[in-house]
Amino acid sequence: MPDKRTTLANSSLLVLLLLAVITSLSMGTVQVPPPDVLQALMGNADPMTAFVVNELRLSRVVAGLLSGAALAMAGCLMQTLARNRLATPGIIGIDNAATAFAVASVVGVGLSLAPSAMALAGAACATAIAFGLAGANGTRGYRFIVAGIGIGAIAGAVTQVLLSRVAIDAANAAYPWTVGSLNARSGNSVLVLAIGLAAGYAILMLISRALNTLQFSDAVAIALGTRLKATRILGLALSVLLTGLAVSVCGPVGLIALLAPELARTICRPGKVPLTASALAGATFMVVADLLGRTLFSPLEIPVGIITAIVGSPYLLWILLKPSRRSLT
Amino acid sequence: MNALSPTSAVASRALSLPLIAAGLLLFLIIIASLLYGAGPISASEAFMVLAGSGSEEARFVVSELRLPRTIIGLVTGLALGLAGALLQSMTRNPLAEPGLLGVSAGSGFAVALAILFGASTATLTSFVAQLGALAGCALVIAATRVQGLGNDPVRLILAGATLTGLLLALTSMLMLMDQRAADEIRFWITGSIAGKPLSMLQATLPSILAALILIVIVARPLAAMALGEKAAVGLGHHPGRIRFLIVLAVALLVGSATALAGPLIFVGLVVPFIARAFAGPDIRKTLWLCVPVGPAVILAADVVSRLIAAPAELPLGVVTALIGAPVLLAIVRAGRMPSL
Repeated sequence: MPDKRTTLANSSLLVLLLLAVITSLSMGTVQVPPPDVLQALMGNADPMTAFVVNELRLSRVVAGLLSGAALAMAGCLMQTLARNRLATPGIIGIDNAATAFAVASVVGVGLSLAPSAMALAGAACATAIAFGLAGANGTRGYRFIVAGIGIGAIAGAVTQVLLSRVAIDAANAAYPWTVGSLNARSGNSVLVLAIGLAAGYAILMLISRALNTLQFSDAVAIALGTRLKATRILGLALSVLLTGLAVSVCGPVGLIALLAPELARTICRPGKVPLTASALAGATFMVVADLLGRTLFSPLEIPVGIITAIVGSPYLLWILLKPSRRSLT
Repeated sequence: MNALSPTSAVASRALSLPLIAAGLLLFLIIIASLLYGAGPISASEAFMVLAGSGSEEARFVVSELRLPRTIIGLVTGLALGLAGALLQSMTRNPLAEPGLLGVSAGSGFAVALAILFGASTATLTSFVAQLGALAGCALVIAATRVQGLGNDPVRLILAGATLTGLLLALTSMLMLMDQRAADEIRFWITGSIAGKPLSMLQATLPSILAALILIVIVARPLAAMALGEKAAVGLGHHPGRIRFLIVLAVALLVGSATALAGPLIFVGLVVPFIARAFAGPDIRKTLWLCVPVGPAVILAADVVSRLIAAPAELPLGVVTALIGAPVLLAIVRAGRMPSL
């Protein structure tokens, strides 16, 4: 049963998320007052408002919400599996690999392979390579992370190669997407992401007890009856699935996978893996960052990945550089 | 060479063999760089030009396009290789590399800023790039001052990667702000030594010479510092002062290279890695060997970038990333981190 503190944390995050969604629906080139937004969502507003809110903004906000939740949950999961709060999909290069594969499907001549499938394949490849290079059963944190940096660099270079092989306008169109943006989303990818997110969340809730025991040492986890290997493989597969699907929608939006679980862990009861809170926090971050990107320099639009990098990087630098006794790797 | 390494004759003989081999290899790569290209001029036509004859068109391609490109590649490789060796020795971290630590990104951001304010890449002085590199070096200084970080190479690299990400995001934002600047920055930021005028080389030569003089000054104290700070102090050196000079030299070198070729990552990692494999742990020998190896690596990557996608060309930065990332993985994969 969820305890009081977690319930409180989750419900306040939910309220924040709802506020962010409504603000995001109401702000933009055309300002719609929040009451009108609610009216439009219920289906009784004038056609103009209904068009702006339901047709233009809602699908974007939903895409941001889902991808933010998926990225954050994947991050939380991977941090738990690696017992290292820096081991998030973005840092170990999975995002970049998924992007490279997805860009390949977009710029590839006449290929109509769904970006979702390609992004998933890329994410799976990167994870397999990172784990292979880090050595089996790797809790050797530093190897895993540096291997990931290398894989990310290769994937980034491959993306560049792909983009340099196509016509300039195709490359320009794909550019915002390669830095992480909600502009290039396709309806199909969002649908696949929604299904994957629901399935992933259900499975994670079923294995949450086993995940909680992973915070202890291997011996303790085994003594508590956890099937370590099965849990690890299932968890890793789910985090690859969530990352790949999210990247196929929004591109490599960095650092949400790091920041959201960090916030969730601070406000939830210690000792449990805060998956729900991470997902809610990630969704909120993504919606707010996209809102900032749309409105700060309007009519110019800053891709959401650039906003999260500018806001999140100083925090990560602070984690890395502050003197602490605790080893991070 | 004697001025820098007054060690025993045996030791310097041990270095001369790899040095000659690397020099020969560099010579071959320079010839290849003049002979092969993405254009319709074949290798034999280009060879005729080198031999003193050849058609008008071939002569133009070789002496006006490929020769300046080769010279700029030589200088860029020299600068990046030496900068990498200095940084790795100073931080005692085999992964420390100007590109990975954010020095190149700092330089790149400064240049992007300058382009946005109206400078064009052709008229750009290397001064801006060097200033940016110096700012990027600030992270290295800050990091070596933080307690415990010196013993944790991965945290330093991750901090560098984060700083690079931040600066790249800011650069992308500048590109979105201004379409004209964006076109110019996009061409420049992928890293290339093609089509750069030799006048840019003239602008950077004084700072590269200054950096070389600084290296001659710090080489011996740096070798002493490899024995530990206390030993260096005991031998009469001042570690703080040496570190300052090294940071200055690295900023001059990386800034010049970035102004010439754009931000190239992993070159500063690969070159000292190769040099160390043959020269051993002595930083003075490593620096000597970096002199032929650095240009050889850049020019080889450049030749590959021309041939692999002919008749189009790949950006040089992409090729160096494809070559360098596996080396990074190899260093990490090696059972223990080689300590410097």
